[in-house]
Amino acid sequence: MNKKIYRNVAIVTAAFAIALAVMLGVSWWQSRRATPLQTEVMTTLKELNESNPDNEKLGEQIRELDLLSRRAYFTQERHLTAGVWILCGMLVVLAVCLRMYYKDSMHLPDRELNPVDEWMSKTLSRKYLGWGAGIAASVALVAVLAMSPSVRGWVKSLVTWGDGQMSEDGGLLAADDGGGASDTLLADVKADTLRVDSTLLAKDEAVQDSFPIPKITSNAFRGNNSSGKSSARGIPTSWNLKNGTNVAWQKTVPKHGYSSPVVNGRNIFLTGADQQARELYCYDLYTGELRWTVKADRIPGSPPTMPKVNADTGLAASTVATNGKVVCAIFATGDVMGVDMDGKRLWAKNLGVPDNHYGYASSLLMYGNELIVQYDNNGGAKLMALSVTTGDVLWSKSRKDKIAWSSPIVAQAAGQQAIVVMGNPAITAYSPSNGQELWRVECMSGEVGASPCANGNIIYGASEYATVVAIDGKDGTVLWEASDCMPECSSPVATKDLLYVATSYGAVCAYSTEDGSVVKQHELTTPFYSSPVVVDGKVYLFSNSGKCYIFSAGKDFNLINSFDTGEHTFATPAFTDGMMVVRTDKSLYVVKKS
Amino acid sequence: MLACLIPAVAGAVARFPKPDFTSGYQYPEIVHGVPFETLWSWVDVVLLVVMMGVVVWAVYYNPNLASNPNFNPNPNGWLSKEKRSRVAVVAVSVVSVLYFGFFRSGCVCSVGAIQNVVLALTDSSYHLPWVVLLVFLLPLVAALFFGRVFCGGVCPFGALQDLVNVRNLRISRAVSGALSVIPWIYLAFAILYAATRSQFIICRFDPFIGIFRLGGDVGMIVFGAVLLLLSVFVGRPFCQFLCPYGALLGLFSRVARRKVEVTPHPCINCTLCHDVCPMDAIRPPEANKNPEHRQRGMKRVLLYMVMLPLFMVAGALLLASQSQTLSIAHKDVRLYTLLQHADEPLAEVEAFHEMGRSEEELKVKVEEVQRQYWIWSLVAGGLIGCVVGIKLLSLTLKRTRKTYEVDASACVACAKCFNYCPQNKKIN
Amino acid sequence: MERRKFLATCGTLLAGGSLAAMGSVLAVKASRNEGDMMWQIDPEKCVQCGRCQTECVLPVSAVKCFHANQVCGYCDLCGGYYRANVKELNTAAENMMCPTGAIQRKFVEEPYFEYTIDEELCNGCGKCVKGCSSFGNGSLFLQIQQERCLGCNECKISKVCVSGAIQRVPVGTAYKLKEHA
Repeated sequence: MNKKIYRNVAIVTAAFAIALAVMLGVSWWQSRRATPLQTEVMTTLKELNESNPDNEKLGEQIRELDLLSRRAYFTQERHLTAGVWILCGMLVVLAVCLRMYYKDSMHLPDRELNPVDEWMSKTLSRKYLGWGAGIAASVALVAVLAMSPSVRGWVKSLVTWGDGQMSEDGGLLAADDGGGASDTLLADVKADTLRVDSTLLAKDEAVQDSFPIPKITSNAFRGNNSSGKSSARGIPTSWNLKNGTNVAWQKTVPKHGYSSPVVNGRNIFLTGADQQARELYCYDLYTGELRWTVKADRIPGSPPTMPKVNADTGLAASTVATNGKVVCAIFATGDVMGVDMDGKRLWAKNLGVPDNHYGYASSLLMYGNELIVQYDNNGGAKLMALSVTTGDVLWSKSRKDKIAWSSPIVAQAAGQQAIVVMGNPAITAYSPSNGQELWRVECMSGEVGASPCANGNIIYGASEYATVVAIDGKDGTVLWEASDCMPECSSPVATKDLLYVATSYGAVCAYSTEDGSVVKQHELTTPFYSSPVVVDGKVYLFSNSGKCYIFSAGKDFNLINSFDTGEHTFATPAFTDGMMVVRTDKSLYVVKKS
Repeated sequence: MLACLIPAVAGAVARFPKPDFTSGYQYPEIVHGVPFETLWSWVDVVLLVVMMGVVVWAVYYNPNLASNPNFNPNPNGWLSKEKRSRVAVVAVSVVSVLYFGFFRSGCVCSVGAIQNVVLALTDSSYHLPWVVLLVFLLPLVAALFFGRVFCGGVCPFGALQDLVNVRNLRISRAVSGALSVIPWIYLAFAILYAATRSQFIICRFDPFIGIFRLGGDVGMIVFGAVLLLLSVFVGRPFCQFLCPYGALLGLFSRVARRKVEVTPHPCINCTLCHDVCPMDAIRPPEANKNPEHRQRGMKRVLLYMVMLPLFMVAGALLLASQSQTLSIAHKDVRLYTLLQHADEPLAEVEAFHEMGRSEEELKVKVEEVQRQYWIWSLVAGGLIGCVVGIKLLSLTLKRTRKTYEVDASACVACAKCFNYCPQNKKIN
Repeated sequence: MERRKFLATCGTLLAGGSLAAMGSVLAVKASRNEGDMMWQIDPEKCVQCGRCQTECVLPVSAVKCFHANQVCGYCDLCGGYYRANVKELNTAAENMMCPTGAIQRKFVEEPYFEYTIDEELCNGCGKCVKGCSSFGNGSLFLQIQQERCLGCNECKISKVCVSGAIQRVPVGTAYKLKEHA
């Protein structure tokens, strides 16, 4: 009688336990990766909230949702725990019932025992074990064969034979694309003509008829890759700000800055800053309209008071960099941010306030999705690559160098595209993929303000009180050194034959790239901080006082024209199709054939 | 139970200067406590010894136990009734599950201690704690004298399985005989992965630890629950088919000074003890039914003896051939593979670059690890081959038994058979 | 029968001998170490990948956020307390960094705030640590709370730690804390 009860109880509890276990399993499966605060709704709401600083309702919605999802999460958690305990209880009951049910199953067998044939089971056992071991061994053997290089190669050839035909088309295209890549000058020009972002094209379709979107970009300080060369054509060789000859427009820039303008499509980007705010501006190339302003504010870690900077450097000395989708800017506070083409701030962070007695001045540079930041300050120098889209640190490399104000460039080094950085005391090439050092040449000294430049495989560096040096990019051997004419702030630019250098004591000279001998020198008695740019067979150069010098880029290196623009100019101009964008001490203007 | 410490320090960046408080603010004093682990570890060891002692007493020396030849029931004593003859072992089991299992959350256990010992023998930089050493050695020493008394009720895993067990469903002896090599294979891999500093797989795949801790890896908890449910109907499935430490203990208890006997009285071949044994350790009587020519039998035995070294060499070479694949269990090797193949930025790869480690340095390390893997998979493969060979050899030996006999290497001294034996009910 | 007994004795001696030999070798090793070993996070190596929160065998990780007051800048705009780009410096849900509300602050004096971690609520996700070390002094850091740590034979987090920051150290140096650089 009792046995029957135990049996029935056991059956019932077993059935319930199974049902409950299934339910708990399903419930757990659902809540397994629950992150109540990272739902899609929540993240979109938070993004919206960030971009709409005045909408109070969004904040309230977030708070409500936050509370609800937390409550739901904990309720589910409690239910799960309770369920597990109930299940445990049921299992205990089940075990007890079963134990009771089988309690007295001990009884003497009433028949004569038949001895087991152990030998037979042993024989079988041997067989199983033999088979098991054999199968395991053959699996291992097959794996060995599959791993061996000859078999692998054979399998590979079988596989690749199949899609060989398909890849041929692609291969042709690729070859066409990379055809001129061997010559860096050509590559530079090619990079210039990077397609302008298609979204931008679509947006400005209405105005596109009257103003063609220029194909030539100037994405960083001294043009794309910071090369100092542009493939732009048709730049006027004279203009007049007073009467407007060959000047498309001129606007006053709200806040002061020594950073140079950058041009991509119809957008001109530049920065300005004062004690109150640090701002990134976007101007329309054709109309001069200030399309938007983005403030670098509310950044965690940003110092409440501005770091002490020299008046010659200012708080916005670093030039921005763009890729036609995102523009990134950095300020002397160490604040760096990424902004999209519509002026929406995508990310912002502080890299640590730079300990810099003049003020941080290195410009940004983009390489693929990497934003390269040369962060050489007192108490530690490093080169960082941030994600252009998110600002996350992709890699960071500490450098053995001292403080410098130089900017990185992209150049050919060690047989690949490399980031070349000049500092004190070395010029160093880094692999852009992981920041690995490719070579390092210690040749500089003092306060390095100029940036390096490159032509083909040769990399040049020059700094006052140090040297002018030509380095073979392949392995970092020094080809020649010279010390006739050295720049302070102005960065040199190189073509195949000549290296152009402008100094702060008024000398402008051209070195032979062969041996470093001075081919020609102009004594102009006016200081140069702005860098020369090679464009359309000419060298454009602004003096601090605002005098523009245009030389012919060639062995003769003649002064074609020089005239006073009337405004102090420290920034390096940016070039695009038929237009030159110049930032002066106070304003921004575009030179274009009227 | 707290001890104050001299903390080690790491540097920090100083973006913001230390504030100058004018309101007389004092920095709070924070003391971080450390549990006085040493005390508990020694309690563990003492309890281990005491509990093994209780099992030894209960199985071999308890005068009230029906299997004892000096059995002299005292009708008033609380241990006198026959059905209580296993009480001491059950009590030890309960204490073990509660203390070693739930209270000490099943760590460090003797099973896992194998790996620490292997590591200590191979890696001079590893510090083997005394407690771990004792937890590893004491059950083996006990096994040398009294058989697997540790498994009987002191091991929380065995105790837990034994406490929930109600039935003994058996699989065919032919299959279970073949499966008995699994614990040794497990042991071989545990040695391989511990010696190469890759993983403690016994700890990683410990089925009951999640239950003792009431949390942890869900997959392992489910595995543990399934094993526990299984042990309701099958006696000690983990001990029978998986436990690597049980395999070691079995080896020692084979040559134990004293072995468990079901009854001091003559066996009447009633099969009750055989049916109740959770480990299937009681071998039924066997009359050699198919008489074979003695010479043929001898030939077979000799053949397997010759094959034994061949098995070892084959096992060693086969496993060593897989050492490259196996080495992926090592963190550095995995990181290196990720670095080579990762398309999207993984946390590991990012951290690697952030720390400024170079790929060359890692490669050198990986090569060293793979070399070690090669050596240790030779050892582990040899062990596996040896075990398979010996098992095959033992399966070719014939022995006749007239009565039910206890297989000392499988018996866990749980004392279940004692009060099932009708002979034990006789009073001297 | 005699032969069998002899073999058994031989076996016992062999097994006992090997056990004694191994035991003595290991005892020599064991006698050389200095107390218990504890798992520890090296805050200098930690990159706050977030795995400490999910990988610990405990339902709520034994890894907790620690705060070095001596290092803290006591900022109002704390990178560990507020999310990036906060509108207002208040405790509204959209502004808070900590998902469990474990980091709390108290006004000390203008413009300083004292931050404390409620260990009961902290789940070791390291979000605040990331915020603090990227924007602030790095006074927040992750460390293993020894009173909660089970001291597993092999720490499960250490096996997936991306930076290899978790090691076993002698009990005397169990807590590696932060101090001004």
